[in-house]
Amino acid sequence: MEILGYLRPDGQIGIRNKVAIIYTTHCALVVAEKIHRLFPEHTQVYGVPGGCAYREGPANKVVALGKHSQYGGVLVVGLGCEGTEAHALAGRIAESGKPVEAIVVNQLGGDLKTIEAGARIMLRLLQHTSQAKRVAMTPADLIVGAECGGSDATSGLASNPAVGYAADLLIDAGGTYMHSEVSELMGCAEILAARAVDEQVAREIREAIHEEERACFAEGRFSWGHGNALGGLTTIEEKSYGALAKSGSKPLQGLLRTFERPPRPGYWIQIGEPGSGTFHGDPEGVNQRAACGAHLALFTTGCGSTTGGLVPVIKIVANPKRRQLILDNADIDASPIILRFQDGGWRIALPFIDNYMEDDINALQQRTPSRARSDFRLGASAPMPPI
Amino acid sequence: MRHRAILLHGCDNVATALTDLKAGEGVVVDREGRALAVTLHDDIPFGHKFALSDIAAGEEVRKFGLPIGRALAVIRAGEWVHVHNCRSERWGYYNDRFGTRA
Repeated sequence: MEILGYLRPDGQIGIRNKVAIIYTTHCALVVAEKIHRLFPEHTQVYGVPGGCAYREGPANKVVALGKHSQYGGVLVVGLGCEGTEAHALAGRIAESGKPVEAIVVNQLGGDLKTIEAGARIMLRLLQHTSQAKRVAMTPADLIVGAECGGSDATSGLASNPAVGYAADLLIDAGGTYMHSEVSELMGCAEILAARAVDEQVAREIREAIHEEERACFAEGRFSWGHGNALGGLTTIEEKSYGALAKSGSKPLQGLLRTFERPPRPGYWIQIGEPGSGTFHGDPEGVNQRAACGAHLALFTTGCGSTTGGLVPVIKIVANPKRRQLILDNADIDASPIILRFQDGGWRIALPFIDNYMEDDINALQQRTPSRARSDFRLGASAPMPPI
Repeated sequence: MRHRAILLHGCDNVATALTDLKAGEGVVVDREGRALAVTLHDDIPFGHKFALSDIAAGEEVRKFGLPIGRALAVIRAGEWVHVHNCRSERWGYYNDRFGTRA
């Protein structure tokens, strides 16, 4: 397999070629959004949720995302009085070597002047980005993240094991794979510790899972919704074993702290994500993977999920009773796996227990790409104001 | 033969329905090459679980070869196993409050 990627000054290779528009406060969101609407196909807009105060976490996150390989340039849009200073933020992203510019509404005089200035800068950034050097990529250059949302019994039976199998293939080809959602690894500590490359990693993953369990108790947040139960899942352990199936069977290289890039290929678990699906939802999870450098995300769902993210999301659905969901929102229909079980064609065991799926994976029908999803806003809890 | 339920691991005491199953039906499950027959006491929706053998109150319920929780009361072979009679070892109280009778 060979694809042509876009070489960035820091040596990363992107699979997309876009320009990011980053607002530094919600007060600058509308202006940033209007600049984005002038170049809707070539730009993505996101930013720091909230208002006046500087908050390190969101600022670090947009910096990490701004450095992502899919952006050839970045425009930072600030209001001017907020703690997250636009030029400082731009300076941090510019460490990646890509062109980064900043504009500030209060310095330019208002929204119309800022939109005009932003549009003119954007022309330059897009021209620069369009000239990115194309280089051949192999699977060894790929970083793939995974996320699940709206899990049901078919997630652990079919879609997550299929993703785990794909992860094994990617890692065999020299690639990098990561998932997170530690709140959905309850009961999996010893299974993962046994897969750790060394004793220290084993200790770290045990501690991370136990710490998450304590935090879930203390804060009263649980990665559980009634749809999980309607879909046949009874306990968090059952949901977790199913979620773990997406990890494949390769050795666990280590844990990635928030926004840390995997230092070498192989299988990684990202931690420090505050309970995706419980607080921030799944788009935030996809973008956490992106902030760690993931080029794209594999996303399994059984109950149904229509969310996307800043990087391309490949949706995988295995529930044969969700025909409409498969038609409208799935990129890969994995329901043939369930049909194969009915035929007795596969005697399943989860990949971390036993290798299964010796049959070819062609039973999975690849569908035409589903509708573009860039529905994400950082701080998605705050609704978009009308424009 | 059509498989209407699947056993994920040889030491499991529950199987998962691969289609909607009705009370009174006989279901045959493959356990490591040997056929295991169970008569269902309840309707079992697609993706849901039923007991393959009697499970004592407090006994582990096993799926994927791993414990998914404990039986709240005696569960007879062929009975639906779900949030009404099986609890997480961890977040049982959450299910007590919000568990959905599917």
